[in-house]
Amino acid sequence: MAVFDTPQEAFGALRPVCVQLTRAQTMENVASLQAHLATVSASALQELQEYVLFPLRFALKVPGPKQERLVQSVVQCMSSILAATCVKKQELLQELFSELCTCLSPPSGSSKPASLSEELKLAVIQALHTLMHSAYGDVIWSLYQPSTLPLLGFAVSLLLGLAEQEKAKQIKISALKCLQVLVLQCDCQEHQHLEEDEAQQCGDLFASFLPGISITLSRVITGDIKQGHKTTVSAIRLFYLIVGLVMADAQLARVPKNKENLPVEQSRISELMVHRGPDWSKSTAEKLALLLHKMVEFSSVHPHWKVRLELVELVYHLLKSCSRSLVDSFSHLLKALVGLVNDENSEVQSRCNEVLRGIAEQQIVAQNRALADVLSENLHSLATALPRLMNSQDDMGKVSTLSLLLGYLKLLGPKINIVLNSVSHLHRLSKALMQVLELDVTDVKIVEDRRWGCEGMCGPPGSLQHGMQKGRCQKKYFRFFTEEKVFQLLQQVCRVLGYYGNLYLLVDHFMGLYGESGMYRKQAAMVLNELIVGAAGVGVDVLQEREVSLNVDDLKGSIMSILDEYTDQANWYLITSIDTEEISHDHSVQHLGLTARPGGACSSILLPSPELLITTCTMNSNIWQICIQLEGIGCFAAVLGKEFRLLLLSALYPVLEKAGDKTLLISETALGTLVDICEACSYDSVQCLINENSDYLVNGISLNLRQLAHQPHASQVLDTMLRHSDASLLPLVEDVIQDVLSALDQSYNNQASTFLGVLHSVMTALVQWFGSSCSEEHQQRQTAEWWSGTLSQGQQVVTRQEVERFFLDYVRQKQVAEGNLPDTGNEEADEVPPLTKLEPNNSDTEGETPLPSHAQLGKDVMERCIHLLSDGNLRVRLKVLDVLELCITVLHPHGNHLLPMAHRVWPALVTRLISDDPLAVLRAFKVLCTLAQKCGDFLRQRFSKDVLPKLTSSLLSQAPASARAGPVYSHTLAFKLQLAVLQGLGSLCKKLDMGESDLNKVADACLIYLSVKQPMKLQEAAQSVFLHLMHVDPDSTWLLLNEVCCPHQYEPPHISLQPVKLSGMGKQRNELTNNVLLLLEKLQQQESVTPWASTPEASPP
Amino acid sequence: MALPPPDPQFVLRGTSAAVHTLHFSCGGQEPDVPILFSGSQNGFIHVWNLKTHRVDTTLDGHGRKSVYCVETMGGKNRLLSQGRDQRICLWDLAEGRASVTDSVFTENVGFCRCSLLKVAQGRWLMAMAAKALEEVQVLELPSKTSVCTLKPEVGAKLGMPMCLKLWQVSCGSQPLLLAGYEDGSVVLWNLSMGKASSQLGCHQEPVMSLDFDSEKAKGISGSSEKVLSIWSLNEQQNLQVYKTHKLVNAGISDITIRPDKKILATAGWDHRIRIFGWKKLKPLAVLDYHTAMVHCVSFSDHTDLSERLLAAGSKDHRISIWSIYT
Repeated sequence: MAVFDTPQEAFGALRPVCVQLTRAQTMENVASLQAHLATVSASALQELQEYVLFPLRFALKVPGPKQERLVQSVVQCMSSILAATCVKKQELLQELFSELCTCLSPPSGSSKPASLSEELKLAVIQALHTLMHSAYGDVIWSLYQPSTLPLLGFAVSLLLGLAEQEKAKQIKISALKCLQVLVLQCDCQEHQHLEEDEAQQCGDLFASFLPGISITLSRVITGDIKQGHKTTVSAIRLFYLIVGLVMADAQLARVPKNKENLPVEQSRISELMVHRGPDWSKSTAEKLALLLHKMVEFSSVHPHWKVRLELVELVYHLLKSCSRSLVDSFSHLLKALVGLVNDENSEVQSRCNEVLRGIAEQQIVAQNRALADVLSENLHSLATALPRLMNSQDDMGKVSTLSLLLGYLKLLGPKINIVLNSVSHLHRLSKALMQVLELDVTDVKIVEDRRWGCEGMCGPPGSLQHGMQKGRCQKKYFRFFTEEKVFQLLQQVCRVLGYYGNLYLLVDHFMGLYGESGMYRKQAAMVLNELIVGAAGVGVDVLQEREVSLNVDDLKGSIMSILDEYTDQANWYLITSIDTEEISHDHSVQHLGLTARPGGACSSILLPSPELLITTCTMNSNIWQICIQLEGIGCFAAVLGKEFRLLLLSALYPVLEKAGDKTLLISETALGTLVDICEACSYDSVQCLINENSDYLVNGISLNLRQLAHQPHASQVLDTMLRHSDASLLPLVEDVIQDVLSALDQSYNNQASTFLGVLHSVMTALVQWFGSSCSEEHQQRQTAEWWSGTLSQGQQVVTRQEVERFFLDYVRQKQVAEGNLPDTGNEEADEVPPLTKLEPNNSDTEGETPLPSHAQLGKDVMERCIHLLSDGNLRVRLKVLDVLELCITVLHPHGNHLLPMAHRVWPALVTRLISDDPLAVLRAFKVLCTLAQKCGDFLRQRFSKDVLPKLTSSLLSQAPASARAGPVYSHTLAFKLQLAVLQGLGSLCKKLDMGESDLNKVADACLIYLSVKQPMKLQEAAQSVFLHLMHVDPDSTWLLLNEVCCPHQYEPPHISLQPVKLSGMGKQRNELTNNVLLLLEKLQQQESVTPWASTPEASPP
Repeated sequence: MALPPPDPQFVLRGTSAAVHTLHFSCGGQEPDVPILFSGSQNGFIHVWNLKTHRVDTTLDGHGRKSVYCVETMGGKNRLLSQGRDQRICLWDLAEGRASVTDSVFTENVGFCRCSLLKVAQGRWLMAMAAKALEEVQVLELPSKTSVCTLKPEVGAKLGMPMCLKLWQVSCGSQPLLLAGYEDGSVVLWNLSMGKASSQLGCHQEPVMSLDFDSEKAKGISGSSEKVLSIWSLNEQQNLQVYKTHKLVNAGISDITIRPDKKILATAGWDHRIRIFGWKKLKPLAVLDYHTAMVHCVSFSDHTDLSERLLAAGSKDHRISIWSIYT
């Protein structure tokens, strides 16, 4: 709202008020001048600047005490004029400057600052601020001449006094701001950047104030927190601006050696001037270091984030401009900076990261050897303290300690090699890592968790995937920390080392540690894994690119040497369980290992001979070591990608070996590794991986099979291959399975047990791949049979017509049996079970075509089983029986081959059934059941002749014992045997389609087990026998049961028939009654339900 | 505890037929992978990559008839193969090609391996059993011009040639041919005169294989008997029996002296490979891996001695690779 645009008009308007003011210095006059000023345009005011200022300056200069409020309003008015105009005269500026300063100066004589009102102080500070902004170029420059040094010094000390001692926040802040302007470091954009020599000159000038400013500011910064964060922030900013200016490397470098001699007239002033020579800068840096240390300590934990943010700026600014002069302070500064990377405030964090990145990008560290030394020194002391800190700090503390370590490493960047080349540094660092990464190996569960035999194969298809995931995320437990973040940081530390460091040097060093002692082995392996990952630049967070990008061949070379070490016998075959079988093998491995590496004393540490006590901890530790090595192989694969395919030749076999390990954790980890390899080498699935590389595996297996005594693990590999692949693998491994068989033929005596393991897995796989189809088919046939059986039997029930029909049928059948064939023979032909009709067909065709390979294998294996069935070792016999059962299942669809084999097996099997350890009898009986299921009536004769008598007699003789026995009995072998026989006998009878006399024998033997005195389970099993018998021959079973106990009276359907008399009628209740009644009821149901289902019209009333 | 018996370093599977001949080509520099050629009964030549241990290429040029000789002609890109289809094929394998560039029709029904000798840059001599039963023909390759035909004297009754070895005392000198015949004799032929200069009855049975060390002027031959015969050539170009070595099991199908003339390997019908010191014929090792007759043995030509290998091909379809330089 400028009314008066021309100076003339303005003069006209302002003149009266100015005159007025000159006459009487009152508040009102000042206020009216102020009011009039508003009506004058800036350009007009510029012309009248001095004129208008005059009365105001006059008012300040009038001697005698003045009213504070008047001074305040005068100063305010001045600053409003100055805000709108420029000071164009040097003298005016200096005068105004000194006049304003005088306003604040204490009354002469007293050292205390004048006790003025806060408003006044504020107004003066603001006026000074405005004044500094209203002068430009040469004008303002005139203030920064050696000659004005006293004046400047006065202003500086004044402002510092205010900043330090005032209570009001605003004054403090304004004072600091004003100081900032005074040292030409204002934040606002209007100021020109200082020219180089101008800056130099300012530096010389301000050097005199540096001690005062820095000490006072440091007091402000470390002052009471209640002063508010803004004050602190401004103080920090001012501090780094002034220090950055005075101590700038660029300026100090240009300072001449000797102090320039100023003209004589200024000699007094020249005494005040400081010469920033090397001595001065050194001592100043020392003093500043103390101050900085104090400040950093204080503000890095300042509760307000803006203070911490400003601290980051401080570090950045000083690092940028004074990295040489203040080199000694950087140990603290960088520590603070790196520590703030993990600040709770995200803004501080991101700025911190930005600054770190900036530092790295500008290669401040890389170009400054001294700084790198400082960092490496910090690193050294941190590494030294690390184990202690890890022991004593809480998880948060550990996180910050480790991020400090990580920060140092990141800052060092490519200069890391300086650290690594120093033996003591590398030693410290690696030892620290070794100690920190120590695993907790007390968990017993890891050792206990076993992967059991072949259960996995029958598990749901998802179980593999599940296992892999579990294996991958298996958490490690460390002795010194639990927090996941800590581990991640350690991981990053290793990766950064690998990224920048000399890979050969590092790998060599940590391999040394790996070999040095069993204590460090796991940690060293972990570090090695991460080093490689880092070296490849995977998952590593760095501030700057490394100088030389990685040579893939170097990486591959390192990986190959690590891989060789990992899969070395002494490091790969560790004792992980106290399974006697395994230990004996491992023992021999150990011997081999020792002979192979006579110098390797470490192998004896790692593989204590089995005589020594192997603690759970040792085993746990061994398990972890293997897992870490497996994970390592996974990492290597991921790093090399498709290049890893070349290494599969040596790496795949050991991994598969471990995938077949009995320890759950190991096998799961190995599966995870397999998945990693799949991904890296771009195979679609584990199965693909195995199939496409089966030649490598087969080669390994076949070579190792030659020395089975030393390499019991070959079977594990084959087992894993079979487990994770499908039928398409068979042609590929057939060759090697034949090798197994021929190797077995060479050494029946000593290695049979191991071979049987292989055969077992082979047969299990065959059953899984080929078994389902044939067993399904078989079941269908069975059910069809069963239906036809029950149908024909289900019709013989109650109504008169049916009785009549039954009778007629009976007569006709009798005639047929006597050779009196009726004309309508079709019906009988239908009743011939389909099985017998199919059988000759099958055998005809099979006789001509060769066996499919899997069946041929089954046959070959079965052949070996026959020989091994009578092995002296019970364990072997048991295993053989298992394998035999699988062979039978595989061979089942090929009756023509199965039956002769069954014939050959029979004598040996009978011996097992009749005179062997109960355990073997139990197993043999199961085999018998399977065999019966598959061979059917082929065995009937043999069974009833060779086995049945023995079975029934043993059942009969055992019955009294079990009837008397207590609850513990159910844990005995005798009980299990009884139970198995009873459970199997029923279905055996049905399968073998046994004759009446045999059925009677069975029924007689089982009847006593229906007694309520028998253990419940045996009763149930005996019931099941009878239920089966009901299917085979319901009538005789009914009769037998009724002879024991008959609940009903039976009226003959016609008077001409004799009344029915059964010996069970009217008997007293006895121990058998309960179960017999139950069975009769079931029989009744079966008789009535079955016909319903098929022929509803024939349902009984 | 006794050391376990030595194992092959690797076994190559997948020829799916008996392996009759092997030839290494490993002399190349870094980017070249070491290669092993194998010729098998089903007429295929497999090119094995010894880095991945897998077949790189399969060559089919003998009408599914057994291939019993494979040789390279300077570098791995030119290959010569001989098969029971009575043809000798020359292959061009450079830059992934796999084509027969030329072939020689031998008209010979036997299974005598031809012998190749480089006489000058790009010029080879090849000796092969000719159409007439007892004759040996020498051709110059690649021009295929006949150099001479070696006919035994009338009434010599040598029978068919069984194995041939072309050699020369030093580069540029007169090439000579050693031939083993069905009647068990070894004959030294002078190619320029086309006449036999010496004849020695080494075996009672046909000579199955022979190899000759021109430095020591000593050769060795094996037959279907239990004897290895070592003979030498004196200054008058006469063959003399030097020594015989009794074997445990009869039948040697191939003999090769290692290029450094220190040891030799035999392929036995007893499924075993035997290693002998060449100087005194001291038995050094019995390599037992194969489950059928071993047909051929071959030493590799790696430039780095420590990498050198021995390969053996067998009737059991497998090729075993052994490292015996350690």
